Order: sequence, then C-alpha cells, then structure tokens
Amino acid sequence: MSPESARRAEVAGYTNVKVFHEGIPVWKKAGKLIVSESAALKDLMDKDIAHVLIDLRDAGEAEKSFIPGAVSIPAKDLSVAKDKFPGDKSAPIILYADKLDEEAFKAVRSWGYGNTSLLNGGLASWTKDGGKAEKGKLATIISYVPKPRPGEIAIEEFKAIAEKGSPDKIILDVREADETANGMIKRATNIPESTVKNRLKELPKDKEIITHCATGIRAENVFEDLKEAGFKTRFLNAVIQIDKDGKYEITKK
Amino acid sequence: MVNKRMRLFVLTSMIAMVLLGTAGLSFAEKPTVLAPCKQCHQPEKDLVRGTLVSVSEKFKTINVQVGQKLVWIINYGDDLKITGADKLLSVSKDKEIGIRFTGDEKKPYAVSLTVKPPAKVAPEKLVTADEISKLVAMGPEKGSYLLVDSRPKPRFNEGHIPHAVSLDNTKFDELKDKMLPKEKDRLIIFYCGGVT
Repeated sequence: MSPESARRAEVAGYTNVKVFHEGIPVWKKAGKLIVSESAALKDLMDKDIAHVLIDLRDAGEAEKSFIPGAVSIPAKDLSVAKDKFPGDKSAPIILYADKLDEEAFKAVRSWGYGNTSLLNGGLASWTKDGGKAEKGKLATIISYVPKPRPGEIAIEEFKAIAEKGSPDKIILDVREADETANGMIKRATNIPESTVKNRLKELPKDKEIITHCATGIRAENVFEDLKEAGFKTRFLNAVIQIDKDGKYEITKK
Repeated sequence: MVNKRMRLFVLTSMIAMVLLGTAGLSFAEKPTVLAPCKQCHQPEKDLVRGTLVSVSEKFKTINVQVGQKLVWIINYGDDLKITGADKLLSVSKDKEIGIRFTGDEKKPYAVSLTVKPPAKVAPEKLVTADEISKLVAMGPEKGSYLLVDSRPKPRFNEGHIPHAVSLDNTKFDELKDKMLPKEKDRLIIFYCGGVT
C-alpha cells in the first residue's frame, strides 16, 4: 500500500517522498511507541472483544471521571503491578493518562505484551469523540478472558478441514499471487483479497467459506465482505506459513 | 486456416462491438491505456495497458479492460512472450498487464505480455525504523516532516506510529488535498502494514 501511495504523491508533485517499507510489524517488534485512537477502543467495547484498559493517573483523579471498564494502576505503581497482568501476552492492552506516557508503555511492552498501545489524547479525546465516562471507584484487578473475534474459527477445526477436507466447507486463500506462488494449502482455493469483491460469483453459496491469509488481517476483511454479501463464512485469525509442498504451520497471534 | 482466422476475427469483432456498444467509440479512437495506468505510463503505439478480464484458450484471445465499457480482444499464439508470470493462465483476473501487438487495432495479435511486478521502492527512498524514531522525537513541526499511515482507517485506529496521520491508500485521490501539506518539498514518509 505505502509504495503505491508514495508514487501517487510524486505524481501529485511532491518532491521529497520516502517510504518506511517495513512498516508497523517491524516498528512493533522493535518495541517502539504505538498510539491508538478512541474509535478502536470503542470498537473493542462494541464488539465485546476482550482487552485490558488501564488508567495510569493517580487514583484520586481517576475517580472523578474515567473510561468505563478501566482498571486503576497509577503509573508510579506500574512496575509492582506486573503480576496483575494477564498470562496471555497477545492481549490488547490500552494505557491512558493525560499525556502519552512513553515510560509506562515501554515498561508494559518490555514484559512481552506485543499489543500494547497508548490511547491518543486519553480521557479528553475519548469524551470528545462521544465516549461515555464514569465516576466512582475503579477496578484494581485486571480480568482478561479472551474470546474469539466474531467469525473466528478455532485453529484445531481449521487444521481438521485442511487435512481431511469437508463436504460443506471450502478454504479460501486470499493472499496475492506472489505469495501463493511459494506454496498453498492443498485443498485451498485462491482468490486474492484485492479481487474478491469482483469474483463473488465464483464462490459457492451452499458451502461455508473459511478464509485465511498470512496473519488473519486480510482474511478478516474478506470474511466481513463475504458476510455482507450473504455468504456463510468464518476466518482464520492466526499467523500461517505454508511451504512449497503445502505443509503449513499455524501460530496463534 | 485462413477461414478459421476470418471466422474468429468476425466473432471477436462482434463481441468487441457489443462491448463497445454504448461507449460510442469507433475503432479509430479506441483508447489503449486504462486511467490508473496513466499515472506511470504514456500511451504507446501498438501497446495496450489495462487489467486482465479473461483468457479464452478456445478462441486464443486475451481480453483486456481499458475502460469502463471498453475491452480489447487480442489474439495470441504459442509464440507469445510472457514476462512476470510462468504461464498465461496463472495471471489472475484484474491483474494489471501490458500487451504489445502487431497488426492494426481491428485485428491485434499479441507479441508479448508483461505482468505488473509487485511494488518496489528505490533504495534511496527507503527509511528505517530508527530514522523514523528520530523524527518522531522531534515532532512533525520541528522535524519538518509528515508521516502518513496508508492502511485502512480501522487499522490506524488500532495502533499507529506517534504523530502519524491516516490516509488510506484506497482513498488517496479523494483525501490527498486535505491531508497532505501545501509545500510540495516537505518530507513525506509513507508506511503501511508490510505484508499482512
């Protein structure tokens, strides 16, 4: 996506255009600061997706007004609260305060929580974007019960379909041609994400369509599109690597 | 053979007429380049650029979309040279392709077909995470840069680099005037999700 945007910017006359091609995955892996927006937190709440929301402000200040569901862990107490954090390191953890507290982010991130972010603008942006606030005592214990995202297929079930096949299900690989050239699951059909919307008529209405890509992101996009178009569908929300022989390895995110 | 070619020609011409139909274009002014391809490519004689609609093995034709209701139907044979794919049938539908042909536009015969390669970035245009870090520490004003997240907005909302702005690649033309700086020489750095 970014090289294409860069090219368009040059066509529009910009003369000093560069590309950070490695993008977000490398940025995240390096443990660098990640900022999230209120809209994403609202989405997690609306879709009832398990997450951890932490109010880093002093308890007294937090009690005056806080984001619903937040757990109070003042920044100064963060390091001793390490044991309160979930066992699942893939948990989305959102921290907020009055400013972007880089130190708090780095602490939580260094414990291995790869999906940590700082909420841009904190409580002020949350309420400005229409989010409700609460007052009173905040929870002090983190409870995190991961639930699958809507439409997510269990990894074991996906493997069973890939191994044995299923009369009423098909596996749809939505990666692009340059990726599938390095190997595909034996029973999978390939329609790249970029072309799915134009090729709906190639898909069966009487079978469930299980989508996968390389990390689950494009698979979920296609899942949403197919669902909207009236198909029965689910998606694999995991990292999958496939070799030339069709052998594959699935890793939970 | 001549007969077969003739029949084929009549048939493909008829299909072309139907497809051209409401576009109201005569063959003499038939465009050769699809609009988005014009960002990088100028029209050339005997070269069609567009997206692949279909390949008919039976009729030995390649159908290329170069406009909303405009499809070129180009004959090919076993002598077709292909670059960027191992065989004709492995080129996916809607893929951007270029076809060089001989003969006139009423009866084009494909000489070579090129599949658009995956986007590559010239090394001097690449920046690293550490270089971005230094700019982020300064902030967009002091650092005099703009960092642009090309992913869809929901991905941006979930987590982005500090001080980045969201400009979804698929909405680029629509939003560019609003999001990009007035100064054309300002440093703009684009990033996305690598391979997802």
